[in-house]
This record gives sequence, C-alpha cells and structure tokens, in this order.
Amino acid sequence: MRTRSLASAAAAGRYQREWFAGLRERVAAGEPLALVNADVPQEIFRAMDIPYVVSQWWASLVAAKQRSAHYLELVRERGYPDYTEQYNSLTLGAAFDPEPENGPWGGLPAPSLVVADATGDVTRKIFDLWGERPGTTFYALESAAENEVPVNWWDLMPHRWEEAVGTARLDLLTAELENLIRFLETTTGRVFSETRFREVMALVNEQEEWNRRARDLIARTRPVPLDVSEGIPAVMVPQWHRGTEWGRDAARSFYEEVRDRVAAGEAACPGERARLMWIGRGLWYDMDFYQRFQDEYGAVFVWSMYLAVAADGYLRYGGDPLRALAARFAAFGDQLYTPPWSAEWYVKEARLHGVDGVVHLVSDDPRGSYFTTRALETAGIPVIEIEADNVDARGYDPDSVATSIGTWLTETVLPRTR
Amino acid sequence: MTALAELTRIYTDRAAAARGGPVYGYVGADVPVEQLTAAGVLPVRLWGDPAGDTAPGDRYLGKGLDPVARSVLTRLLAGAYGTLDRVVVSRDCEASLRLFYALRELRRVEPELDLPEPYLVDVLHLPHRTTTRYVRARLEQFRDRLHDWTGTTADLPGAIARHDEQRRLLAEAAELRRAVPARLTGTEFLAVAGAGTVLPVTEHLDLLRRLLAEAADLPEHTGRRIFLTGSGHDTPEVYRALEGAGHLVVGEDHDWGDLLHLRQVGTGTLTALAERYQHNGPTAQRATTRARAAHTAAAARACRAEALVGYARRGDEAPPWDFPAQRAALPELPAALLERQEYGRIDLEGIR
Repeated sequence: MRTRSLASAAAAGRYQREWFAGLRERVAAGEPLALVNADVPQEIFRAMDIPYVVSQWWASLVAAKQRSAHYLELVRERGYPDYTEQYNSLTLGAAFDPEPENGPWGGLPAPSLVVADATGDVTRKIFDLWGERPGTTFYALESAAENEVPVNWWDLMPHRWEEAVGTARLDLLTAELENLIRFLETTTGRVFSETRFREVMALVNEQEEWNRRARDLIARTRPVPLDVSEGIPAVMVPQWHRGTEWGRDAARSFYEEVRDRVAAGEAACPGERARLMWIGRGLWYDMDFYQRFQDEYGAVFVWSMYLAVAADGYLRYGGDPLRALAARFAAFGDQLYTPPWSAEWYVKEARLHGVDGVVHLVSDDPRGSYFTTRALETAGIPVIEIEADNVDARGYDPDSVATSIGTWLTETVLPRTR
Repeated sequence: MTALAELTRIYTDRAAAARGGPVYGYVGADVPVEQLTAAGVLPVRLWGDPAGDTAPGDRYLGKGLDPVARSVLTRLLAGAYGTLDRVVVSRDCEASLRLFYALRELRRVEPELDLPEPYLVDVLHLPHRTTTRYVRARLEQFRDRLHDWTGTTADLPGAIARHDEQRRLLAEAAELRRAVPARLTGTEFLAVAGAGTVLPVTEHLDLLRRLLAEAADLPEHTGRRIFLTGSGHDTPEVYRALEGAGHLVVGEDHDWGDLLHLRQVGTGTLTALAERYQHNGPTAQRATTRARAAHTAAAARACRAEALVGYARRGDEAPPWDFPAQRAALPELPAALLERQEYGRIDLEGIR
C-alpha cells in the first residue's frame, strides 16, 4: 500500500508559517531578532527567548520558492561574488533587497544580531557584511579543529563528549558562549536563567531521542515506510525549534506516525527494489527529485543526513550544561564532513539502513567527498556522485541528472539486488 | 655572485635548497616557524607548481579547492620535496585545513602511499582573549610534540629573536622596492622573501644583510606601480607576467610577500608567539573585509602605488569579498578585480 502524505510534516509546515508570522509581529513590535548560522548554539537564544532565524533555513526557503537567482543577483550587483558559499550569501541577498516584503512569507525582517562561526574562508566575511548594516551587530565564534580524534564519535557523543571533541575545543567554545550570554544580556536586556537553560537542554535531548527511535525504525523496516522528502520537513522544522515543547512533541508525533505506518504495512514505494542513501545537503529547489526513481526503478531514498544526524549528532548528557552545549557544536560539521568521522559514519548508517546504493551530492565545496565515496565503495556499496549546488539552481539540469542516475540504477545497483 | 642573485637562485630551485635533516615541511604562514627552528629542525614551506599535473591532488581534494593545496598534495604524493620528516599544517585558509584532513586520512586508509606524518597547528584569529588562550594551548601542545619527536630542549627566545630579525631585514628589503625609483621588482622581492622559507634562518639573515649592503648597486626599475591584493602567490609566474607587461608590483597583501614580515613577536615567550600568530595578517582568508580594506589602503599609499589590482585565483573564495571595500578605501586609484584566475596565470586584458 502506498503511503499517504505525512501528517506530521504538514503540521510542521503549518506551524512554521504561523511561527514566522508571529516572529514578524514580534520584531515589528520592537523585539530583537537574531540571524544565526546553523552551527551556532541556538539553545542559548531559546533559553533567553530571543527570536532567531537560521540562515540556512531561510536559504532553503528561498531556493524552494525558485528565488535563488534573484537574491544572488542582488549580491552580485553590490560587487560581491555570486558563486561562493551560496548557502549563506543567498540570505545576505535578502538584506540587499529593495523590496524585502516581496520575499518568501512576507520577507525576512532586518536582524538586530547576527551570529556565526568562522568556518571556511567566506562565512565570516558574509556575516561581517551583515554587521556593517545599520542597527545590526555581528558576533563571531571560532571554528576550531583537532589533530587526533577517536573514529566512533556516534558512540561517544551522548555521554563521553569530552573524549570525542577534545578539551581544547571545549574550553574555547565554552568560554565564547559565556561571553555570548553576557553580550546578549547586555544588548537585549534579556535574562539568562540557568534553570531555564537546563530545561531547554533536556527538551533537546528528548526531541532527538524521538528522532533516534524514528531513525532506527525506518532503518530496519522493509519496505521503507516513508521517503526522505516526506521526512525532511517533519524533522527539520522541529529541529529549528528544538528546545521547545512543540519541537519535542512534533518529533514524537513524527515517530508515532512512522510507527503506525509500519504497523499498517504502508510503504513509500510498494515495489521497493533498491534502498538509496542521499549524502549531501537537501536539494531544496527540486524536492521532487527524491521520488523520481520510485515508479520506474523501484528505487527509494530511505536516508538523508537530516534525520540521521538528529539521531546521532545532538544528544549530549551529563556535565556542565553549557559545556555540553559547546560539545554539541564544537565539532558539529566534522560529524558530517571531516574524515574519518564523516566517512565512517556514512558507512555505519548505510549498513544500518541496508542501503543498496548512494547518491552523493558533490558541490564546488567538496568537503571530504573523496573519502566518503571511498569508504562506501570499500564497504561494497555503489556510489554515484552528482555535481550541483543545493541552493543555487543555475546550472542544474534535472533531466541530465535523472538520466545518469537511471543508468547507474539499471547497470550497477539493481543487478546486485536480485 | 650578488646576494640578490644568490637569493633568486635559491628561490628558483627551492627543492634543492631544502636539504639537510631533519626537514619539516610546513603549509601556511600561520605555522610558528620559531618553534621548528628552536627544536633544531629545518622548516621548509611547501609550494605548488602551476605547470604541474594536479590530478592526484584533485582526486583526493576535489577540483573546487584552491589549486595550490591540490598541487602541494600532488607533489607530496610524488615526493617532489625530497625527504620530509613531517608536515606541519596551519589553518591559514580552508584549503590548508582540507589538505591536513586529506593527509591524515590517507595515512589511515592508504598507508602504502607513505606520506609524511601530518600535524595541525590550529592557530585561530578572532581578536579575543578566548582565542589567545586557545592558540597558546595549541602552541604548548606543539612544543611538547616537537620535544617528543626531536628530544631537544628548545631555545625559543633565541629562535624568536632570529626570526624577528629576519622580519626586520625583510621589511628593509621591502623598502627597496617601495622606493621611487624601485631598487627591487616585485618578482625579485618574492624571491628574497621566498628563499627564507626554505633556508635555515641564519643563512637567510646573512644573505639579507649582504643584499642590504649591496643595495646602492642595485639597478633602478620603473613601470606602472601597482599594489597587488587578493590571493597569495607561492610561485612567481603572475608577478613575472605583470612585470613583463610594464607593471611594477611595489607591494602586496599576501603572506608570500609583505605580510610575511609585518608583525614581530617582540618578547621571547610562548604567549607573545601565540599573540603574534593570532594577529597575523590581515590575510584575505582570515581577516574581516574592514580590516583588509584599511590595511590595503594604508599599504598601497605607503608604496606610492598608482593602481590597485585584485587577483583572485579560482577556488580561493575570499578575495572577491574584500574587493568592494578595498576599492572604496582607495578612491584616488584606478582599481580592477580579476576573478577566477587560473593558478599561475593572469588575464592581463583585464587591467590594460
């Protein structure tokens, strides 16, 4: 039986719209607004009740509305490159928009604070430009690296995060977060309550535990009860609201809906022949892509990083809660992009989900992609790499990509599944 | 042979100069070479080859990354630097960090490649005390690791003093090129500075002193005086092309050139060393656009530049973000940005 649309995803979408309308009202009434990078410890803002928008979420929304080219053109018009780090520069384009109210959902209000970590060579510059806008202050966090790391981070992170991340990085980010709290208290007048913060941290762990249950259930269920395009909004909208009761409950609803589907024998692709893994950021401007291979090939995307990293990447128990929060983010990107962590985790997840093939998005920013592909192929799992940017649709040829994947499925993946 | 000829000879064949052991290759100007000198090892800064094949490096790092890093990895795989005991990598740019990760992972999963052991010195740059403490902790770890590797008790104050003297003499040499008329070309200055990245510091000091003593005999150079901003130049091809077309590179803001000598350590302590490297720059890849614009404007004026040329290599993503503010900070100069240039090449049509 083919599945219906996911109620939890629809509910998350409705909630997000209402939340954003409310956010616009709050900002219009004079409340502060923070624009933050995805790897910024948002739990502090949650605990202090400072409204925030995640830069990458906004970029995904713009891309989904097919407005990427417009905002990148605005970046270009000001003399800045439109071909680097589009995931963040696209949101900067919103700041340059002479008609911001025409943006998605009424447009992004002007932030009073922007907070980002100094990843790469460009992120800090993009947020610097935000900080030069009148009424906006940029607060930068470092992005640190480690010489030697234990491979099995997913085993260590929940309770032995100090061992996984390393003391030097945790000392640094914890100190930076102490300073961030003081900065926010001073500039917004809001109070940081340790009690409230502990509640937020507990809610996040509860939410991610529900995601972990959902991930484990999906991994072991054949045929898979939902594909990734259904699951991503049901995971990511609550993820941007983590630390709230709504976020925790939405994650539970998602799990329960998956459980009910499994109990009812519902399948995303009833004739499931091949289980696929999508490695890379979401292809926001072409979410239909993820269902394109079901009818013709019986190939269904059972895995994306969004649910999997929710399941493995966020849980932090014990210790000082601010240090635990630092442990959530001091090496967050390494979990996804830095070998050996990334490569070994993808193999672990591919095996857990019984994956037959991997479609690997390789952008101009190929973070550790060779080692990811190599590790999967060494584990006996076929990989096809496709080159595209996940928010910049210019240069993306859906038919060409689909043809390549169709050939790969026919010639490489499906013969192995018989 | 004049000191300039000797420095140029050494720079032209850097691989030949980087001999004698132990030799540690290093990547990026954020590696505190003082610690390597203090430990009794020869620090040799690794450079790429624009004319060489980068296919192996492309394979491991991907084609989107700065080709310098891809070339350095290719050359490491080919043994082009001779015997390197280890490779010390800094976080001077994202490409260097990715290079470190690739080296570390290749040692783990493809040990048959026999790559030298890499070590990351994670020097960060935000101008805050939290960062200073972190960098100092990393330099302490590096000091201890060097001790484990070499068994030597380091003379850090002595090494800092020698490298500070090297920077002071390089700054004097830079004045020869800033003079009107210039006594050094940009290509020559690149060689004067670059020779010091493969020589023992004492040998470089001797040559710099001789160069300055011979300054009155250096020929005069004329040309359109340009200040070059943007990507770093680990090899001389772009400078040669510019100066072959009638330009004279009188200054730059990358760390194979003037940024190499800009900041002294001063005090012979690990904390002072940490602060020197934390505040190193301002490079395109690590500084704010505002800091870059202020520095570029001041440096271009000090060089009495007649034009500002921005050069951004394909894959080096930071420089184009700086350029609008740099141009605005120098309203009196004509300015042009050359984007997505191929490694070792320059589209001169863009600045005619």
